[in-house]
Amino acid sequence: MSGRRGGNRIRGPQSALTDFLAANNISAAQIRDDYERRRQQAEQDAADAGEGPSNQTPEQNDDEALAAAAQAEEAEKKTKKRKRTEKDAIDKIKNAKATKKGKGKKKGKKDEEDDEDGDDDADYDDDFGMYKKARPAPGQFEHCDICNKRFTVTPYSKEGPDGGLLCTPCGKELSKDVKKEQKAATKSAGTGRKRRKVESDRLDGIAVGGAKSLSQLCIQKVAQHHDDIEELGDLPPSVLERLSEIFSKKRVMKSKTLPLFLRPDLDSVIVHDAAYLEEEDYRQIFAIVPNVRKLVLSNTCQLKDGAIDYMLERCHDLRHIQLYAANLVSEGMWHRVFREAGGKLECLKLSWLDAAFEDLVVQDMVKYCPKLERLKLKLCRRLGEDAVTSISDLPELKHLSLQISQNVSTPVLVNLVEKRGSGLQTLSLEKFIDADDSVVGAIHDNCIQLSKLRLSENDTVTDAGYTALFTDWDNPPLKFADFNSTRDIDNNNSGGPEDAIGLASSGFRALMEHSGASLRHLHIASCRHIELSAFMDVFNGAQNYPALEYINMSFCNRADTSVVAGIFKSCPALKQLVAFGCFDVQDVVVPRNVALIGVPRAQDAIEQFGIGIGVDEAISRMVEVTT
Amino acid sequence: MASETDYVTLISKDGFSYVVQRSSARISPVLKRMLDPTGAFLEAKDNTCILQDMPGIVLEKVCEYFYYNEKNKDARDVPEMDIPTELCLELLMASDYLDI
Repeated sequence: MSGRRGGNRIRGPQSALTDFLAANNISAAQIRDDYERRRQQAEQDAADAGEGPSNQTPEQNDDEALAAAAQAEEAEKKTKKRKRTEKDAIDKIKNAKATKKGKGKKKGKKDEEDDEDGDDDADYDDDFGMYKKARPAPGQFEHCDICNKRFTVTPYSKEGPDGGLLCTPCGKELSKDVKKEQKAATKSAGTGRKRRKVESDRLDGIAVGGAKSLSQLCIQKVAQHHDDIEELGDLPPSVLERLSEIFSKKRVMKSKTLPLFLRPDLDSVIVHDAAYLEEEDYRQIFAIVPNVRKLVLSNTCQLKDGAIDYMLERCHDLRHIQLYAANLVSEGMWHRVFREAGGKLECLKLSWLDAAFEDLVVQDMVKYCPKLERLKLKLCRRLGEDAVTSISDLPELKHLSLQISQNVSTPVLVNLVEKRGSGLQTLSLEKFIDADDSVVGAIHDNCIQLSKLRLSENDTVTDAGYTALFTDWDNPPLKFADFNSTRDIDNNNSGGPEDAIGLASSGFRALMEHSGASLRHLHIASCRHIELSAFMDVFNGAQNYPALEYINMSFCNRADTSVVAGIFKSCPALKQLVAFGCFDVQDVVVPRNVALIGVPRAQDAIEQFGIGIGVDEAISRMVEVTT
Repeated sequence: MASETDYVTLISKDGFSYVVQRSSARISPVLKRMLDPTGAFLEAKDNTCILQDMPGIVLEKVCEYFYYNEKNKDARDVPEMDIPTELCLELLMASDYLDI
């Protein structure tokens, strides 16, 4: 019909307009033909005025007949309800059309006569719907249901949402959407992997039920597209820090992404995974951000003397240095760091140093860093007793965290606490295995403004020692208490000695008595000599611990379900309760906004999360279960 | 005038205004304070917040988030809201500002 069809026909020159029209599926010839036909038709209509404009083509007649056939089937129900089922009827007709095609005509005519009296209205509606939905044969032109463009119908043309046909591009779009929807549906059903991810997020404390925060969602998205970002713009430092953490976690903090986090106006550079960064990148950091005050670099396995040298040259305002595994920095360079940058240094956190950093360096540090307020030295293999002795001479020390691999004798620790205790606000002593009651006694006598106290992994301090510490202690209530893994270790006597070692019943009671009012974080994992009665006394529902948000009581194996219920009642602010290895805790119903982690029940989720029920309801349900 | 209506109006910097449920808008602590009838802010008086830093397209997404958040308050395994990549940095700034 159109010139386009005759593939190898010889054609004369065409105008630009014809070309354009042809490209848009419009044929000038056809428009002309259509026009001719319409004109002829109009003339003919005018000639036999008797029929009127309702004159229909034979094909349409056929349709009407079919509709009428369906009409007859439903003739008995002529109620209003019918209107609602009309659509079904239309569909039925469509199905029937193919099978009835042969005999339909004959029967239809008869029915049509039956129908002539009354019910024209519905009949007409049906016809109309029918007419609308009739699918044109392949090869015909049709207007797309969505974009209204003309296109050639093929057997593969898709049907639009309103029943009309769609052009190829629109059809593709539609099927794409449908596929997406299907995908989303299968996703929301939850595959095993996704559930695992959700649980893992919960254990990380990222998701605590309900919707994620919008900034979380955005940060996720940004991290996902880390490759395409050119600049982060003026993001506030807190958000930048969070992004840096996520980038580090995803291990995409490389030479290419690092510059996103460097801005001359910033005073902090925080990179929690610098493993991919090389000498040049470190230089870039110090070149772009010379005013850096807070420098946090972790996994700095390629940080060498050269970069440190450049840092000392460029950055004169360093207050806070935190390095993790900076093992290529030599002994001599550490001395230089403290001599040249020590004057302003307020905070120093170093961990996992194996190759260098000896007691002598610590001596230098104490000598040249008089302003040091916060010090954390963890797992620096070469440090020993002498380092601890030196540290006790830091005049401004407020926050101290030590984990020293070599043995440190008790008198040295007692000396440290006696000298510095009065000024300390936080004290963390991890894995000082030999520390005994005298250290705890010194804390009791000297520390008067501690808000955080950690004494972990120790099997010497007795329960009586802890009880004495928290009895009549001048220190205000603690906010953070961590006494995990303080217990007697004797494989032949799992019950422990007569007089309990580690934080046990009376020590725990004393702790909660002293600090319960403002305690926020309580870590008593593996304090396995705390008896059930002590838990019951402390968390009896009548006592109230208004600030307590986090409790870890893993492997306190005396705790049972009633203790957990008591905790829910006594701690209105509770967010997370970790209870791995508490085998007597069963059938817990978790109230809203609380995450209970680690309660064993293989087929259930590792972590249980309260869904929209309050504490009272949860407890009443628990009671129902147990009785 | 300081009556507490069910709906509040948020207006973007380019003049688009969005009428959202008060309960949803209160998800943001910042808006909550602004709209607190006991406070003395002008916003509380006419129940309208003008967000000078937010273009309409961002504010629209923010409003969408308000409803998404409210709807999924007590649910677990919440399907994540779709965030258009090109908007996410701006949206991040907005979310930081609104503390959501």
